[in-house]
Amino acid sequence: MSKLTRRKFLRLAGVGLASGAGALGFSRSASAQSGAARIVVIGGGFGGATCANYLKRLDPGLSVTLVESSKRFVTCPFSNYVIADWRTISTITHNYAATQKHGVEVVQDTAIAIDAIARQVSLKSGKRLAYDRLVVSPGIDFKWGAIEGYDEAAAEVMPHAWKAGPQTLLLRKKILGMRNGDTFILVAPGNPFRCPPAPYERASVIAYYLKSYKPRSKILILDSKESFSEQALFMDGWDALYPGMIEWVSGARGGRVTSVNTKTMTVATEIEKYRGNAVNVIPPQMAGNIARDAGLVDETGWCPVDPRTFESKKHKGIHVIGDAANAAPMPKSGFVANSQAKIVASAITRELRGHAPFDGVYVNTCYSLLAPDYGISMANVYRTSADGIQEVSGAGGVSPREASAAFRAEEAKYAAGWYASIVADIWS
Amino acid sequence: MKVAISPLAALPFVLLVVTACQSTPPPVADGSQASAPPAPSSAPGPAAPRSPVFSETARNIANNCFTCHGPDGKSPAAIPGLSRLSAEQIAARLRSFKNGTASSTIMGRHAKAYSNAEIDAVAAYIAGVNKQAKP
Repeated sequence: MSKLTRRKFLRLAGVGLASGAGALGFSRSASAQSGAARIVVIGGGFGGATCANYLKRLDPGLSVTLVESSKRFVTCPFSNYVIADWRTISTITHNYAATQKHGVEVVQDTAIAIDAIARQVSLKSGKRLAYDRLVVSPGIDFKWGAIEGYDEAAAEVMPHAWKAGPQTLLLRKKILGMRNGDTFILVAPGNPFRCPPAPYERASVIAYYLKSYKPRSKILILDSKESFSEQALFMDGWDALYPGMIEWVSGARGGRVTSVNTKTMTVATEIEKYRGNAVNVIPPQMAGNIARDAGLVDETGWCPVDPRTFESKKHKGIHVIGDAANAAPMPKSGFVANSQAKIVASAITRELRGHAPFDGVYVNTCYSLLAPDYGISMANVYRTSADGIQEVSGAGGVSPREASAAFRAEEAKYAAGWYASIVADIWS
Repeated sequence: MKVAISPLAALPFVLLVVTACQSTPPPVADGSQASAPPAPSSAPGPAAPRSPVFSETARNIANNCFTCHGPDGKSPAAIPGLSRLSAEQIAARLRSFKNGTASSTIMGRHAKAYSNAEIDAVAAYIAGVNKQAKP
């Protein structure tokens, strides 16, 4: 890279150094300045709950308030195993007792509006929270109606199960209610969406269940895409474990679903109509409602952010993390949200102390199970600079295609270890 | 569990202010190098006597390690913990994953993303966190 230009240097040297604000921040003691700062975090998932905890760890003097509408959080990671009847939902349900113990004030309420000028969040209860810095981590919402006939009522018949909780149990019930020889249809969305390998892991673990109890049944994946995450590994696994059971139809070959009918249990693509005994529709997605209501999204439906600090490009003083942020090429995953949350916690404390932003190293590690003793993984490392986010070349990647059963079993074991560790990091 | 902000975290800022007055600004590390502002060693421990890696970056990378290896490297389940290892042990292990002399399922894919200086700094950071935590 070329030598540092003076202009770039000034930008590096600190927020507002040129305007004198940095000098002011520098002259005041760090604790006096940051101790008074109020940080509000919206959303208690992988991004928000992590960020709230790490803000308190980095600076116990900060006032950190976490706004989360649910008393308990059910994780999307590992919810496929509840659907396949390997786990109970209680094993993937967490609460905020530890968050409170770390000194975070947890408010069980829903953020309904953000005033970015007055720096205030309005809650459903009528309460208002003033902030110096706001972290928005609302996850996703669905584009209801993007598939004709697929609205919230339809999701009670054809569950999405793409937000974990009652929908997870509903899809489990539909799968367990299938008869031998029935067809399960999974409708997969186009990019980008939450957790790229998850639809294919879901098909795999449901195949495991069907092979065990209803072996004449079939799984049909109708996809809007031409390819999917870890495709070769999934397809190798399907051939080895569930030969002939799973059929995947790409978008160009008629996989793009245009409408559904919950009365006839049919799914129509651009080419054909299919009938399923159980249907899982994973609809197109966008940033969570509060991000859209607050004007944090652009025409893509996701939130544009500064690659270093995840500060919104739409509103100053607001950082957007997790699935709602457009952090491409990073995938929308719980692991990435956790990684972003920790770096943003550092970025916020640094900024409050008048320190320059730093270039973060972000990681993603996704495990998928094709059977209880058959795991595959994807690893990615990303680095940021003022110019953007780049995946580190020569590192990362997916599990080898040629691997022993012992290797797959070890990755399955690590998948469970991964879950135990990440939820300990966030909710204990 | 608490991680104190190192007073050295302020150092790059100070250095940049100083260098601003010089006629020739220092070169920036190239894009493949995570260490952002040019700073002398801020990572403790004998493994990294003159590491150019910024302490914030060492903490950042270590925090990513802890996602799988457990909070502060104390693993609650199947993934090996890091909290009982010395900085030298962690660095040696990461280097062997990076150059492929140690077999692994996923660690080789991760370790290849880091410079040797970063490996030393992150190893020192992880060992340091656990040293502080001991009674």
